[in-house]
Amino acid sequence: MIYLLIDTTTSHLTVSIIKDEKVLCNYQENITSDMSCKIIPIIDSVLKNVNIKLKDVDKLFIVNGPGSFTGIRVGVTVAKTISWALKKDIIPLSSLELIATTYTDKRYIVPMIDARRGNVFAGIYDKDLNVIKSDSLVSLDQLNKELDEDYELVSYDNIKASIKPNIDVLKIVLKHINDDGVNPHSLNPNYLKLTEAEEKLNA
Amino acid sequence: MKDIYILGIESSCDETSVSIVKNGCDEIATVVLSQMDTHSNFGGVVPEIASRMHVENITIVIEECLNKAKMSMNDIDAIAVTYGPGLIGCLLVGVNAAITLSYIYNKPLIPVHHIAGHIYANNLVSKMEFPLIALVVSGGHTDLIYMEDDYKFKKIGGTLDDAVGECYDKVARVINVPYPGGPLVDKLSYKGKDTYPLPLPLDDNSYNFSFSGIKSAVINLVHNEIQRGNEIRKEDIACSFQSRVVEILTKKTMRALKEYNVKNLIIAGGVSANSGIRNNFIEICKEEGINLTIPNIKYCTDNAAMIASAGYFAYKKGIIAGFDLKAKATVSLF
Repeated sequence: MIYLLIDTTTSHLTVSIIKDEKVLCNYQENITSDMSCKIIPIIDSVLKNVNIKLKDVDKLFIVNGPGSFTGIRVGVTVAKTISWALKKDIIPLSSLELIATTYTDKRYIVPMIDARRGNVFAGIYDKDLNVIKSDSLVSLDQLNKELDEDYELVSYDNIKASIKPNIDVLKIVLKHINDDGVNPHSLNPNYLKLTEAEEKLNA
Repeated sequence: MKDIYILGIESSCDETSVSIVKNGCDEIATVVLSQMDTHSNFGGVVPEIASRMHVENITIVIEECLNKAKMSMNDIDAIAVTYGPGLIGCLLVGVNAAITLSYIYNKPLIPVHHIAGHIYANNLVSKMEFPLIALVVSGGHTDLIYMEDDYKFKKIGGTLDDAVGECYDKVARVINVPYPGGPLVDKLSYKGKDTYPLPLPLDDNSYNFSFSGIKSAVINLVHNEIQRGNEIRKEDIACSFQSRVVEILTKKTMRALKEYNVKNLIIAGGVSANSGIRNNFIEICKEEGINLTIPNIKYCTDNAAMIASAGYFAYKKGIIAGFDLKAKATVSLF
């Protein structure tokens, strides 16, 4: 079985190919602009590099948020188009869970993505990627109050006391290998945040 | 000659649209999913909401269009997409879907400028004859363009400030007409009379337009009437405003036709749905013996059929993009 994993939700782009439970290629690049122009050329070169054709991929794993709204949309649009066109199973993954695959000797892992104005997207996971607290948008102050045990803060962003992620794509793929695929038409971003206009309207 | 089928994708603002057009002229199928109802809750298009809705709908609209045409992607010769100008988050969805389809099916990817699309909407009415003058009127543009041949655009004049559609929306707001303001001001104008003395916008020897003056004049007029405790006759303001706008658009366009010795005129863009503009140009072109083309109302607003049509002529000219095609919020046609 061949799997393609795509993450464009942060500036840390990841495109990985996993075959027979081995990582054939794990391409990572720090991309601060124009993710949209780079994604297909990168997927193409990764596939060529391991001599695999897109049509031979059995399943897509797409990281659909939270993170940069634009980044999420780029990845989701590409992935749902591939899934629809080539009739490939597609499984959405959390960007925070992917960060939580980072190795640590602490009991809990707290992946975080900067959401500006003192807020972060964060969740709490254990070492087997079981969800202790679901991904949500919280203030750093609030998050600090909820953390009282043995934990590691992990983030690509410069958030205090956090270590940088060192993601393990195989770990997250194996965890979700038997998840049900979703219909590509209904595969949507998981922003974890309403637009400002909607927030004002609801206020 | 083999028929060429272009699949067009348009997502530059608040319409997700996909269309298949044969040989640049024959529309096979078009699907337009408008978000207008959603945005009307906010009094205008909210870019982030629009972008979100495009992602949710893009593959559904592509599939629906292919089903409607009873075709598959294998029957398509090339994929055309609006790459700009427009709302960047919205453009990205269409561009990424188009790049991905082009990659998967190994079909050429054709970048189409949104305004080229509006101009080529006329090709779906009747084959454009050259040379021609195009008057492009929309929420973001007011341009007079000279075209010697297909896909040769030469700007001869444009707005120096507000676009005509933008000005309509602002006037609508001032006289308390709800979103979408422009079309409602047009409707209202027929119930009123041209009684208010509004200035004729930038009536000079150039082919440029300026609508900020008349906009300010309407704002001042409304404020003054309120201060004096006078009743504001919305219908009359709408009629007076529309009369001046139509007058200046007609005056400069007809002068351009004479000076460039051109007999073909096309009108394009969202504001070409305005009945005051349409009716006036139809009448005057008849008198002057000008061959006028205006898109059907459904092709005046954003749609992918016009993108597929323009895409065909771009394709013929060899305008092909790579998988690194960049969406652009602002980009000139010239």
